[in-house]
Amino acid sequence: MLSRVSIGGLLLASLLLSACSDEPAATSTPAYDEARARLVIDHYADMALAAYSDALSEARELREHIDTLLAQPSEETLAAARQAWRDARVPYMQTEVFRFGNSVVDEWEGQVNAWPLDEGLIDYVADDYQAVMGNPGARANIIASQSLKIGEQQMDLSELTPELLASLNELGGSEANVATGYHAIEFLLWGQDLNGTGPGAGERPATDFATGDSATGGHNARRRQYLEVVTDLLIADLEAMVAEWQPEQDNYRAELAAGSVEDGLRKMLFGMGSLSLGELAGERMKVALAAHSPEDEHDCFSDNTHFSHFYNGKGIENVYLGEYQRVNGETLSGPSLSELVAASEPQLDQALKTDLDASEAALQTLVDSAAKGVHFDQLIAPGNAEGAATVNHAIDALVVQTASIEKAALVLDIQALNPDTANHSF
Amino acid sequence: MQRLILLITTLALAACSDPRQEVTAQLADQVLLPAHQQWLRSNEVLLETTRAGCAGELALAEIKQAFHQTQSAWSHLQPLMVGPLSEGNRSWQVQFWPDKRNMVARQTESLLDEAPELDQQQLDDASVVVQGLTAFEYVLFDEQVAIRERRDRYCPLLVGIARHQQALSAEVVTLWQQPEGMLEQLTTFPNGRYANADEALGGILRVQITAVDTLKKKLGTPMGRLNRGVPQPYQAEAWRSRRSTENLIASLEGAQAVWERVRSLVGDAQLVADIDEAYQRVHDQLDALPAPLMEIVQDPDSQAQLQSLYQDLDTLETLQQSDLARDLGIQLGFNANDGD
Repeated sequence: MLSRVSIGGLLLASLLLSACSDEPAATSTPAYDEARARLVIDHYADMALAAYSDALSEARELREHIDTLLAQPSEETLAAARQAWRDARVPYMQTEVFRFGNSVVDEWEGQVNAWPLDEGLIDYVADDYQAVMGNPGARANIIASQSLKIGEQQMDLSELTPELLASLNELGGSEANVATGYHAIEFLLWGQDLNGTGPGAGERPATDFATGDSATGGHNARRRQYLEVVTDLLIADLEAMVAEWQPEQDNYRAELAAGSVEDGLRKMLFGMGSLSLGELAGERMKVALAAHSPEDEHDCFSDNTHFSHFYNGKGIENVYLGEYQRVNGETLSGPSLSELVAASEPQLDQALKTDLDASEAALQTLVDSAAKGVHFDQLIAPGNAEGAATVNHAIDALVVQTASIEKAALVLDIQALNPDTANHSF
Repeated sequence: MQRLILLITTLALAACSDPRQEVTAQLADQVLLPAHQQWLRSNEVLLETTRAGCAGELALAEIKQAFHQTQSAWSHLQPLMVGPLSEGNRSWQVQFWPDKRNMVARQTESLLDEAPELDQQQLDDASVVVQGLTAFEYVLFDEQVAIRERRDRYCPLLVGIARHQQALSAEVVTLWQQPEGMLEQLTTFPNGRYANADEALGGILRVQITAVDTLKKKLGTPMGRLNRGVPQPYQAEAWRSRRSTENLIASLEGAQAVWERVRSLVGDAQLVADIDEAYQRVHDQLDALPAPLMEIVQDPDSQAQLQSLYQDLDTLETLQQSDLARDLGIQLGFNANDGD
């Protein structure tokens, strides 16, 4: 008898406890219209397709400029190739918001955009070049070498093929060994930036690609070949990613569409928040600023970091607003997270839009500063209080924006944000 | 009978005064603030000891001992550093990890080359890399630094770092204790930081769960989990002083101190048992490590043990990050490790 009473009391107690929590009742109206949310996810995939397609077409343009450079190495053709690389970054940086949350992108990305790199793996470097401690490939200089021995492993480097270069990524287990992707190409086009936190980017002379008497740098036939092969590999990688986002195929997009609406929205929001906070504000700005370390700058050879950061931010905004401006100027727009949030919490939607505007304006100040000749690696110089304030302002805006992204997730009834662990159970 | 039901009902109603608010206040007052104060005390001792050691009144070993204490207090604090210490770049001034490119050696030596008569202002204006425990450890323990022969060169930096750390920790403790400070913000709602106790508790748990994720990183990185399984001994935290494992244990205990208070809020008894067990397993496994982390990651015979430890940490993380968060109805949001 007593035990039954106790059980009754305990039940009562737990009912009362749950009654005094602030959580909304589980049976309230759904957080969004499911059919509409499906369209939002489908449009997200359309934007990914458009952005990767743009990245691909710009990479092909880059390849053409590289052909011209190699046919006639001159400061003019080198400058044109560098500009083509910068242009190619515009759509690519806007794709990075698709990276986190979509494992197909995250697993593919290392070969395409890995950084920071120990560039001595690829080509000649200055004597005081500082590599990662214990990296056996830090001075391998693939361009100057016909073979390479790492530990017990002997590798034949005589034939520079896409497969060979891809296999040299993470050589000897060091993530700083990056043989491929945008930053390998960047290094080949610019060379090391030896100016530290002072003005100026890499200054590789065009004659590093010349043959004959004017040639500088050494092993120029290999350097020329490397540049061609690594750009072809980038194109092939982007082609593969475009294919993953084509509609009505047996690909990643089909998987995404077959998954639950909740998972799709989670992936979108996780990509936005992870890029905003951990990657862009943290790894790409705060580390470099706090340590005054130009080696931790994202586009450290070209000093194009301001645009990389700006277009990363743009990508986050694109996903929220359901809008992407293509390189040809057309705007792709459609069903958005914004409208799902606005349907139940218009004020929060407005607040997040305001935050996105504010972070865009803050990242714009990095671009404006570079236009005046003060680039990211100068902003992070020791003793540059004004520069630090500029970078910190951008970091803070991204932090604020991330908090609103979290709130938006709650409005859409998404508590656990990380797709890797959200559905985990024991 | 009647009385019993009445009693139970009253208890239940009393619980309605908000157990979450109570637990949050206890955490703030009995766990978080004391850990910050302990860290401050360790820095005061470090400063005194370093001054005396550099004046030749104490042996170098005494400075090392004080350094270990500070490292340990800092490690314990990491899962508990909600609020001021996690803001701005304060925590970065305490420790710079990972330091893959050995920036600490380069920046320390070039600072001392440029400022042989280093004064406090120069250090306070310098990079976080040279202001904290990582640079202190470099000077005390790195084989390339002849500290015994070159006290003239290195002592101003050691004293400067200790003073910087003491000032930083004193500032943070003040930010906790002052009117409308962190302690008040964790106990009286609503306030400028939190609308209610739920938000505050969520904030505490977020820091604690992120710290467990960071523990995984501190173990997994030297194990080579980011590097195709190739060990990276120099990416172990505190590899120079060979104190990585002790630090991991201190952090784990800091995280567990939060859990000990939170567990009364959890409805699912099985989950409570699982989390208790997960803490115990990780603790046992860390205690059983036979040698400093940077050595055992390179030892083929220890790989299975390390893998199993990593797995247990992963289990602990998942239990807290998804199951516990779900049970408490708390959204954890993004942390700085997302996107790595």
